[in-house]
Amino acid sequence: MLAIGPGWADQGGLDSPADAAWILSKLARPAPMQTGFVELRGSRLLKTPLRIEGLYRRPDAATLVREVRAPYAETVTIRSGEVVIARPGKSPRRFSLSRAPEFGALQASFGALLTGDRALLEKHYRVSVAGTRQQWRMQLLPRDAALAAKVREVMLHGRGAELRCIATHAVQGEAQRTLLAGAARAAGPTVTAATLERICTGAPA
Amino acid sequence: MRLLSAPARLALALSWLAALLLLAWWVGGTLQLGGDLRRFMPQPRTPAQKLLIDELGEGPGSRLLLIGVSGDTPQALAAQSRALRDALRASGEFGLVANGEAGLEAIPQRLRPYRYLLSDTLDTRPDSLTGAALTETLQSRVQDLGSPAAALIEPLVASDPTLEMLQLAERWEPAQAPQRLHGVWFDRAGKQALLAAQTHAAGFDPRGQQSAVDGIARAFAHARGSSPARMELSGPGAFSVEIGARTEREAQWIGAVDSIGLILLLFVAYRSWKIPLFGLLPLASAGLVGLGAVAALFDGVHGITVAFGFTLIGVAQDYPIHLFSHQRPGVSAQAVVRALWRTLATGVIATCIAYLTFFVSGVDGLRQLAVFTIAGLATAALATRYLLPPLLDPDMRDVADSPRLARIWAWFEQMPRPRAALAALVLAAVAVIALAPAQFWQNDLAKLTPVPADAMARDTRLRRELGAPDVRHVMVLEGRDIEAVLRATERMAPALDTLVSSGAIAGYDFAARYLPSTQLQRARQSRLSGATTLRRDLDVAIAQTPFEADVFEPFLADVESARTARPLSARDLRGTPLAASVEGLLLERAGGATALVSLSGIKDPAAVARAARQYGAQLLDLKQASESLVAAYRQRVLAALALAAVLLAATVWISLRKPARVVRVLLPMAITTVLVLAVLRGLGVELTLFHLVALILAAGLGLDYALFFEHAGDERRDQLRTLHGLIVCSLITLLVFSLLALSSIPVLRAIGSTVALGVVCNFVLAVLISRAPAARTTHAT
Repeated sequence: MLAIGPGWADQGGLDSPADAAWILSKLARPAPMQTGFVELRGSRLLKTPLRIEGLYRRPDAATLVREVRAPYAETVTIRSGEVVIARPGKSPRRFSLSRAPEFGALQASFGALLTGDRALLEKHYRVSVAGTRQQWRMQLLPRDAALAAKVREVMLHGRGAELRCIATHAVQGEAQRTLLAGAARAAGPTVTAATLERICTGAPA
Repeated sequence: MRLLSAPARLALALSWLAALLLLAWWVGGTLQLGGDLRRFMPQPRTPAQKLLIDELGEGPGSRLLLIGVSGDTPQALAAQSRALRDALRASGEFGLVANGEAGLEAIPQRLRPYRYLLSDTLDTRPDSLTGAALTETLQSRVQDLGSPAAALIEPLVASDPTLEMLQLAERWEPAQAPQRLHGVWFDRAGKQALLAAQTHAAGFDPRGQQSAVDGIARAFAHARGSSPARMELSGPGAFSVEIGARTEREAQWIGAVDSIGLILLLFVAYRSWKIPLFGLLPLASAGLVGLGAVAALFDGVHGITVAFGFTLIGVAQDYPIHLFSHQRPGVSAQAVVRALWRTLATGVIATCIAYLTFFVSGVDGLRQLAVFTIAGLATAALATRYLLPPLLDPDMRDVADSPRLARIWAWFEQMPRPRAALAALVLAAVAVIALAPAQFWQNDLAKLTPVPADAMARDTRLRRELGAPDVRHVMVLEGRDIEAVLRATERMAPALDTLVSSGAIAGYDFAARYLPSTQLQRARQSRLSGATTLRRDLDVAIAQTPFEADVFEPFLADVESARTARPLSARDLRGTPLAASVEGLLLERAGGATALVSLSGIKDPAAVARAARQYGAQLLDLKQASESLVAAYRQRVLAALALAAVLLAATVWISLRKPARVVRVLLPMAITTVLVLAVLRGLGVELTLFHLVALILAAGLGLDYALFFEHAGDERRDQLRTLHGLIVCSLITLLVFSLLALSSIPVLRAIGSTVALGVVCNFVLAVLISRAPAARTTHAT
């Protein structure tokens, strides 16, 4: 559980500018850990975007589990470059992460964040930080050409020591936003794309 | 005859050389060198043999190259595998390149609606596109859109909500496909990325295969960059390329050593630098005229013909050497050659007649060999008779003056003429031939071009990992037409599945898996709902999901076009990657069609054969078929040999007239043949076609020696000259063929060892038997 804590920052208070090192040190959580999430996935095929609620879990350092609880049940396990999608009553499907690079982006960024591994993060992305420690955003631009062709940028929004939102901006299509922890709880049962964006960036209501 | 001046003679010699170079240039331009071993095989008779000849050259098994890449991290290897696949596809030399990546883009747009007829979903779940099943499908797609797979699935859903295309792609994977890591095939250990590539070039087209192998090496070097990865390549094409390279290397060093040895020997024997030049002119003419004759009469010369033909050096050089040895001061070269001509001509004509019998063998390669040999030997003899004498120096030293030669002749003179000892030797030889434990004939074609044991092991391993089909066994189903055989194989499918589950085979593949029979396609068509029904069901399903109402128009259009389309035929698949899989497994000919079922990992051939028979199919053992082919036409070659022996004897008879002389000339040849056979059998060598051909060549040489020893001349000096000529001839022949016997290629080794043994035996026996009786030789002057 990512805790909302007061900024026991070493230097300065919550109003001082944020930097990558500080953010990563705050976000690092050892495995095993889990956090709730809310996602809105839109598609031109759907009348309304799908509001997906569930849990992200990290049972160990190399595995990421995405457990969807509503509106359907599904467990996705990502480990060593392979994605396994399991639904109740169906046999699991597997495919290689290289075929869905945008999800690879999520895993790499999430993983690096949770371990506080700045070197790993910088290896995959160009990192730049803006905002204060009270409200910061971290922009990740992919270095790998194949990934950059699909994903333009990944924007992380947070408050203090809490990561609130991961927004993946694809080259084609709409942005996918995942609200985590406190932001997830703040999102009510019906939420529009605009509300989601507002909660994500932390703009005042 | 008027003697030409020295400069004139030199000018003539040089103009001969120039003519040769011109001929060489023309021949080189028109020559098509081939390596198709089928040229050395007779016409196939049985269906198994016909299939073998087709399959050997053209079949998919013979065109498949197996590639393994290892030596780096799996991710790097996967990237190299992908790069390799793209490069090989773009090169245009390969019909099919598979590395485990889903090849959806390989299926052209016009065939996509057919997916409902090609996929077997409608067989097991006929209502999958109606009512409740449709609702469930749409709900699964909604979940997919919320999952990480959304980016992959979203483009497909509108036209293919049941993801039929993905199912088809999965189904078309080889049945025992290797595991997938990072999207590409890897071996069980996960250390080696695997690919399979099928060439357009036939398995027995060495140039095409060489070009393909080079292409793969280039593509890999490019894909590898600076990585430490290594590539392994295996398959019939790779083997033939390697053997071709080895043969060429060996032919080159053997040819070089032969040429140097020839020149040195001639120089030492005649102590004149001009003699080697004059000696080479008839030889070069013989080789070029032989090549030209084959190039003119046949389309393309086989590599083996060229290799064998150039061993003519060992035979044709006899003619000018006899001329050189008999030259002496005071006698013109023309007179010398006229005196020798009868003996020379008898030998040439007899050998040519022996080779004429190859025309009845019905084998293309042997006919080429006959044309080359006859043209070459005739040219050498005629050049020696008419073209060479005007060029030679009139004051050649007389070799009869050599004291060493006189000593050798005296030594030969006092040798006995053993009768009893020879008879005993012959009987012993016959006993060895009859009783030697090894198999008499070598029927296994594979032994002719052997593959080193480690290369064979590598091939077996790659083949097993990739699940590539067995090259030896194949199941054959014959029928009236393509539709009939497709239906028959579909009926067989359950039995084949049983064989797989029982472990008799690891997997199988047939054309019907890619192209169902028309009957099956129509059955599936009938299960597709009509347009209005489908739209109604779809609307009901959509209402229960968040999908937009009009999203599935492409799906409706595809189902309707599948429902009303003409069933897919083999012709429709032409030009698509599926064609490569289908064409190899479906053969159409006038009056019928044949379907092949390729098998992999066969553990119990008997069970497979039983299952095949139940459905009217037949399990073919291609190795057995090839051996039967080899055995069948050996009869014809042996018949040709018998005819050759008769004709040879007749020629000698016509030339010599007296029975005693004829026997003295023919006996060494006959005994040598028996002795050589005994030695080969005693050493456990199994005889092949090339041993038989070499035996004829050795017999021709033996005839030459025997004729010359028999008619050595009335005076002693003539006899010395004859001896000198024979010693030089046999030494050169021995050199040429002994070098061949050292080759690592079985064909060359067979020819070399047989002829080398023959030369030694023929020479010794000619000395012992063919010399004219003592009464004549005492008239020495």
